[in-house]
Formats: sequence, structure tokens, C-alpha cells
Amino acid sequence: MRSHLTGWILAGMAALAIVALTPLPVAGQQAAQPDTGLGGPGRGRGANRPPAGPTPRLPENPLLGVNSGKPDLGGKGMWTVPYIIDMQKQGCVLGDQKCYDSLGRQHTTPVEVPFNAAARKFFDHATETNSKDDPEGFCLPPGVPRMMYTPYPTQIYQLADRILFIYEGGAHVWRLIWMDGRKHPADPNPTFLGDAIGHWEGDTLVVDTVGFNDRTWLDAAGHPHGEKLHVIEKYTRSDSNTLRVEATIDDPDFYTKPWTDVTFATWSPGQELLEYICQENNRDLQHLVGK
Amino acid sequence: MKKKLSWIAAGLLVAAAPALAHHSFAAEYDNNKSLKLTGTVTKVEWQNPHARFYVDVKDDSGKVTNWEFELGSPNGLMRRGWTRNSLKPGDVITVTGYQAKDGTSLGNARTVSLADGRKVFAGSTDDGGPTQ
Repeated sequence: MRSHLTGWILAGMAALAIVALTPLPVAGQQAAQPDTGLGGPGRGRGANRPPAGPTPRLPENPLLGVNSGKPDLGGKGMWTVPYIIDMQKQGCVLGDQKCYDSLGRQHTTPVEVPFNAAARKFFDHATETNSKDDPEGFCLPPGVPRMMYTPYPTQIYQLADRILFIYEGGAHVWRLIWMDGRKHPADPNPTFLGDAIGHWEGDTLVVDTVGFNDRTWLDAAGHPHGEKLHVIEKYTRSDSNTLRVEATIDDPDFYTKPWTDVTFATWSPGQELLEYICQENNRDLQHLVGK
Repeated sequence: MKKKLSWIAAGLLVAAAPALAHHSFAAEYDNNKSLKLTGTVTKVEWQNPHARFYVDVKDDSGKVTNWEFELGSPNGLMRRGWTRNSLKPGDVITVTGYQAKDGTSLGNARTVSLADGRKVFAGSTDDGGPTQ
């Protein structure tokens, strides 16, 4: 029932952490821990990240519109996004403070996914075939919330009436969150990233997205969704280094009730986005045999 | 025909499946088929979604096979300080990695060592995060 793919990719990440850090001196405990892609102190990537400070804030200024005085989700740097292969195994359960404190590196409680029969069948098939049919392997956009589970960095720009996410990878795309109070269209045409509207609840950015097509997977392990997918994301910059991402998945065609995953992106000061054009030479396709 | 490559039992190594960011490792590569090959680089492709290099490997009978190896993406490699000139045609290298499941002369590179022992593209299939 468990995804073998995830099992040994996680194992591989542990090995990878060792390979990646060689010949740097690494404490055994750190090297043995699976690399969730979150970076952080003592790890290879992000080892020089300064200690976390308070959440940076935008000034009070009417020109900043809805973002006036709100947390600054940007700055000179970028967000390093974790590689969440399996939301069950790598996401934190809502309210699991221990998991939050370790930025998701200690998963004592797997996320329970309320599969219906169709979703279970889809997921099991993905497991059996080692996720060879994952749309992201075909260089299609990861979708939502998977843009924050695909390990290419992102930057967030706050304008007076909208928030813009720019994603280096997955598919080098952007996402616009309208913050001007508009509603979703009554019957949106389906798209990869859907129709997103947002608002601030205190210091948390809440993004409500519908209008998806059914051509993405929620993660590499193969949690499916259809066009009825409704995602609510809550973004909180809890300190200068940390962006907490809480995603609630609702899709009555695949899940018996809504379910929530919490993950974390980490701030990489001074880093810039680079070019990544996945479809340039995707020769992997002819070799994706599955089993 | 005994090829100049070592099949190492996976159990003797850390069960390693490199993290690839845009497609499933397990759907393409076999972590039971470890490779360790020595040969001469013939071509380097600095391309998305994965940089690749090709290496001529001679077996004991003198037959030469041109192997293709997949690295990380150029953006991820650049963040680790590598450039398109880190590896050049003519370099004699030893590469370790895993062979493609379809049995072709394709591998996912894990380590690449130059003849003088310097390692290039170490950790190259990591996930594109910032370098240390």
C-alpha cells in the first residue's frame, strides 16, 4: 500500500545528503537524516543562512493597497521549496507542533488521506508503475499546491491588488492571486493552476483556488484530483527564514472529506531565480518504463 | 563479453535512489544496477531538464561503448558552482551511477571523478536548491 517510490527516494535522499556534502565534515546524525529538500542550518544547502529573525513587514503605505503593513513575503532572495514526493509521508499533520518545529523533518504522524475507491485505485496504480505517468515528468506544470512541493525555488511579489508567485521550475510559470475582493467566475474554464483569489487573515495569506483541469497530480506519489478540486492555501511567514504552507485539498470525486498537509519553504537570502526550460530536451520520456 | 563495469550488489551500498526533480527515478533507473565506469568524455550537453554527458568506455576485449549519463538540471548545477566547462570532451573520468531499466547504455550519474581525483558534479542530481 505504501509507495515504494517514496520509500526509496527518501532513502536515496539520505544517501544523497552524504554524497552532496562530501567532503565537508558532517555530523553523523545530520547525514543520516533524510534530506527533505528543506535546507536549513547544518545542511549542505542553506548552511550559511543567517539565524531566523522576526517576520519582515511591509511599511504602512496606501500605495501597497491590501499589503500595506502586512508581512513581506519577498525581499532580496528566494524561497527554497522542499521536494515533497508523497504528501502522506512528508507533510505535517495539522496541529503537529513537533513536526512544525522541525520544518517537517520529523514525521511521527503520517497524513491520513481520505481516499475514495477511485482515488485508491489511481494511487495504487501509480505506486505499482513507479509514477512513470506523472505529468510533471512530461514537463507539464506541477499544479496546486504542488508548485510548493516541486524543488525549484520561487519568489513572491506583493502588488496593491494582487500577489504574484514566480516559479523557477516545474514549468517556469507564474501564478497570480487576485486580492481585490473579486469572486471566482461562475464556471471557470479549466486550467493547470486554476483561478486564484486571496485575502489576508491577520498575518496569513489565504488563497482560494478552483477551476483546475484534471491533468496534474497532487504529488509525485500519485495522489489524484479532478476538475472539482478546490484548494485553500494558507501562507504564513512565521519568521524571516520560514514560510509555512498549509494546503487543504477538497475534491469530492476522489476524497471522502477535505484533508490538509503542512509544509515549509525556507528563505535563501541573496539567491536569484535561474532559467529552467524543462521541455528543451526531455529525453527521459523514452526511458520511463515504470516497473 | 565481460564489460569493464562493476555490478555491485545494492545491499553492499547504501540503497540510493537519487532525487530527480521532474520525473520519477524509479520509473527510469534501477537502483539494483550500480555502475562504475572509466572512460573518456566525448560530449557534454548543458541542457534542460537534465545536463548530460557521454563517455567512451572500453571493455576488456577492446570494444568501445558510448555511455550517456544524466546529471541534474543546469540551474541546480549552477547553484552548486558547476559550469558547462566543469567537464570537457577528452577528460578521462570515472563515473558511478545507476543504469536505466530499459537496458540501454544510459545511466544516472551520482559521482564523477577526474583522473587526478577531483570530483565534479558531486551531488548533481540534488533538487535545485541554493548552494551552501
